[in-house]
Amino acid sequence: MMRPTPLARLRDTALPWLLPIAILLGWQAAVSAGLVSNRFMPAPLDVVRAGWEAGRTGELWTNLWVSTLRALSGFVVGGGIGFALGLANGLSRVSEQLTDTSVQMVRNVPHLSLIPLVILWFGIGEEAKLFLVALGVFFPIYANTLHGIRSVDPALVEMGRVYGMSRTELFTKVVLPGALPSIFVGLRYALGIMWLTLIVAETISASSGLGYMAMQAREFMLVDVVVLAILIYAALGKLADALTRQLERACLAWNPAYRSA
Amino acid sequence: MLLDALRREAPADPVPETRSADAGSLPPPHQPAPAAGRGIAVTARDLRKSFDGHAVIEGLDLYLPAGGFTAVVGRSGCGKSTLLRLILGLEAPTGGRIVLEGPETGPRRSDPPKRIMFQEPRLLPWARVVDNVTVGLSGQGSRAERRDKALAALAEVGLAEKAGHWPATLSGGQRQRVALARALVGRPGLLALDEPLGALDALTRIGMQDLIERIWLAQGFTALLVTHDVSEAVALADRILVVEAGRIALDLRVDVPRPRRRGDPDLARLEGRILDHLLGAEPNV
Repeated sequence: MMRPTPLARLRDTALPWLLPIAILLGWQAAVSAGLVSNRFMPAPLDVVRAGWEAGRTGELWTNLWVSTLRALSGFVVGGGIGFALGLANGLSRVSEQLTDTSVQMVRNVPHLSLIPLVILWFGIGEEAKLFLVALGVFFPIYANTLHGIRSVDPALVEMGRVYGMSRTELFTKVVLPGALPSIFVGLRYALGIMWLTLIVAETISASSGLGYMAMQAREFMLVDVVVLAILIYAALGKLADALTRQLERACLAWNPAYRSA
Repeated sequence: MLLDALRREAPADPVPETRSADAGSLPPPHQPAPAAGRGIAVTARDLRKSFDGHAVIEGLDLYLPAGGFTAVVGRSGCGKSTLLRLILGLEAPTGGRIVLEGPETGPRRSDPPKRIMFQEPRLLPWARVVDNVTVGLSGQGSRAERRDKALAALAEVGLAEKAGHWPATLSGGQRQRVALARALVGRPGLLALDEPLGALDALTRIGMQDLIERIWLAQGFTALLVTHDVSEAVALADRILVVEAGRIALDLRVDVPRPRRRGDPDLARLEGRILDHLLGAEPNV
């Protein structure tokens, strides 16, 4: 294989950022030149200024913290249950027969359609958000864990048995590592759904959080804060994705498809 | 970092078995004569196996003496792989019985294990080479002991320097050598080889055959090789069984002394005889 020249490496690093930066510059130019109304779309610099303001008063950090906490706790609860049930159904025929049909039926209900019901049940408290996020995160983790365990090479399982592995060893050394690539796919899907659910839930019913901050700003026609909230969501999504990617590289280093260049 | 540590360690310490506590049961790897006493003898009586009513093995009788090297050849679908899987206990027989006798009548737990080498290496892709070899020691000794033994087994197959690599970075022949090390590290009494060299190129295959013969001579386990390559069977085995339609059709001794030279006229004559038999048996298939 050819070793990348410094120029090629610079190009690989710079290329993905070229388009976003060009859009930002064009956007700023369009607003500054008066082509786009300030009320319709604030300039990037206005958004930065709004972010600075909100950060200075502490309002931004409180809301960011509240939202992150909601996202993570919902993710841990829903992902934990999904992972456990996926393992159980992947390993036990009885467990699968008992629960899989029900799970598949519930899965076809869009979880956001439950918002009116959830508000009736929980009001607009923390439980409502936690419930929705957990429900949304549950399915991709469950389905991909189950699929991962199902697709473990039976030849390797047979090998493990012949070589006298105990059930525990068979699980930790053969089944779980074999299912891991698929579980990571589920994890990344789940992270996307986690933010999506949280945004919707906070926009509709909340008294704090990033979505609430955006809705408040809309009331007062603070377009720059609205855009700021949207951009923060984008950044958080990207951050979660980048962390998963790092985790993947560390856990799946054996797999040539995940090895860093 | 880990890799460098292994590289430095491996050549400096070629026989780490002496360190392990239960080294008494392990013969040194370079003992000259076929080390007696570890092989498992296999007896099968009126063995039958059918899948969905279709008989694959039909009333087969067999005795494999301890420490022998037996090859089973036959056309594909003749039941030779099934025979091997039955002996290993991977399949339950439909009828008849199989008795495995260890070297001494002692507590069952101390019996040397039986091991198999599959046609594919079946390495765990997520475990480093050395950790794949320790799979052959499941449930035995401490972590450090297992690691030492695994490194010694890797050295035996000439792959000590690959201990810290991922299986994906090895060639096909190297992977099969790792699989061999994994099979041997537990000091088996019976080693079953299910066409383990079928997927390798001709030169690599010959190298592997020599390696298997050398290790068999040194360790004295009972070897059972299933293959459709008659020249391989003739080069390695003491005794060749030709299986046809679920029965043993031909039972030949190979009296050619070792080391055997490739292209030896006696071996060629034997090979010709077996091939004639195989080709004459069912010309319409």
